[in-house]
Order: sequence, then structure tokens, then C-alpha cells
Amino acid sequence: MLEYLFANKNVEKILMYLAIHGKTNASQLSRTFHSALDPIQKTLRKLEEGGLLVSFLEGKTRVFQWNPRYPFLSEIQSLAKKAYSFLPVNIQETHYQSIQRKRPRKTGKPL
Amino acid sequence: MNFSNIDLKDLACLIYETLMKAGIDAVLVGGACVSIYSHNRYQSFDLDFVTYEEMRQIEKALNPLGFQRTGRSFIHANSPYLIDFVNPPISVGNEPIQHLKTMKTSFGALRLLTPTDCVKDRLASFFHWNDAQAFEQAILVAENHKINVNDLKRWAQDEGHSNKLKGFLKALRSRQTITSTKPRNQSPVK
Repeated sequence: MLEYLFANKNVEKILMYLAIHGKTNASQLSRTFHSALDPIQKTLRKLEEGGLLVSFLEGKTRVFQWNPRYPFLSEIQSLAKKAYSFLPVNIQETHYQSIQRKRPRKTGKPL
Repeated sequence: MNFSNIDLKDLACLIYETLMKAGIDAVLVGGACVSIYSHNRYQSFDLDFVTYEEMRQIEKALNPLGFQRTGRSFIHANSPYLIDFVNPPISVGNEPIQHLKTMKTSFGALRLLTPTDCVKDRLASFFHWNDAQAFEQAILVAENHKINVNDLKRWAQDEGHSNKLKGFLKALRSRQTITSTKPRNQSPVK
């Protein structure tokens, strides 16, 4: 039931990132953690197969978020939040709290 | 074996029996249960089974039938259906499923969700994602089978979605009023 959880080092990063931001995609995680894209995509798919995450297409991007139907969701979220609280502040700030633009940006305007 | 004309229920039984003969316990969940309980008024092409067995053992059991593995799924060149193995446990929301239904056909037996748990399973998608298709599927099952409404109410309250359940029960009552003949095995919703 839970074997997929601890399959690799990317799992805890993804869980802690979701604990803070609620949803994400593979490219965003790859940029945030300066990791290769492919292993992150594989880990996201594995967590989805395990039932912990679900994904939706937003345009051409596959966005992952917690599966509200997963029976152990609240326990996993608590674990991720607690693990996050144990991270050194500099890692929290660098990888998890970087401010991302969420408000709209008109097409054609330079970023 | 030719799988092109086999219907979902018979294929589900065949897969279940094949797995059982290989010592693999499995339970049919998801949209395929809706198809079976709605007498194909909703047609699913996914057969989702929950099992605790390793995928390589399942692969060994299903390969002789001509099913090829892709990840946790199996496809057959002559069948429109996808056989998928969902990670356990068998649950609806926060609740493990303890009671299952066993049905028998000419192809053998099949273990699957009860009609009440099948309705819960569909309603969970409606609760969390406002999925209108799942709502309609829950209605289809509830129209055709006796549902434990009290259990449904208790579960919805535990999930924090009593209000959405009220909407479902209202829609179900309305369908029952509109339908001139009483559906099979169905008691009016109170």
C-alpha cells in the first residue's frame, strides 16, 4: 500500500512542495530543485499510480495535486508538513518559498 | 481466444477466474461496476481491479490469455477493454471497504463493490471534483439497485459532504417520481 512512498529522494521533495503549494508540474519541480526532468516525471507518475496524487491537463501541462480520495491523505500531508518544518530555513526559502507570479499576465507582454 | 465480442461483465469474470486460478485475489472496482449495475446504460472500457499481488505475478497469469502489460495496465489486440490494476487498499474516501459482492455468470464468479459502495465510489468523484458524469453514474446504479441510504448519509457526513449528498438524493427521488414503473429492487428514497 505504501511501498511507492519511499522509492527515491524526489518523493520527499514532491510531498513537501505539495504541502506548501498544493499543486505543481514536473518542469516547475525540475527548475526549483535543479534536478533532471525525467526522474521527476517518473516519480510523479509513480505517486499517481499509487493513488496519492491525481493529475489534470492545463493547456499542454500536466498538473499534479493531492488526491482528495486517497484514504491516507491527511496522514501523509501531516508527515510532509512536519518534515518540511524540520528543513533548515535556507533550504525552505530557496526551494519551497520562492515567490512565483500567480496573477495573470497579458499575452505578448515581456515576462 | 477471441475477445472482440465478449462483453465487459463476462470479460471481468474471465479475468477474475484466471487470477483466482493463479492464486491471485482481486476485486473489481470503478466504472466497470457502474456498467454492470446499470446494465450497460453506462459503458466503461476500463476494468479496474484492486489486488495486493505483485504485477509480475499478474503478468504471468494474464499473458497466456494474450494480454500484454503496459505499466499497471494490460491490453489485448482484439479487445477494446483496458485491464488496470489499482493500488490498494479498497476504499471509498477515508473508509476501507469491508463487504464485497460476489456474482456468478456462465464465465464464473466475480467479486466487486456492492451497489451501495459503487454509488459511494462515484459520489466521491462528484464530492471532490464536481464531476457531473460520476453523479449521473451514481444515479444509474441507485435507480437499478437497493441502496443503503442510511449508510450513504453516514459516509457522506464523515467525508464532510452531507449537502452534496442531499442534492443527489433529491435528484434520485425526482427520477423515481418521473419514472412511471418502479425500478427493479429499488425502494423509494426517504
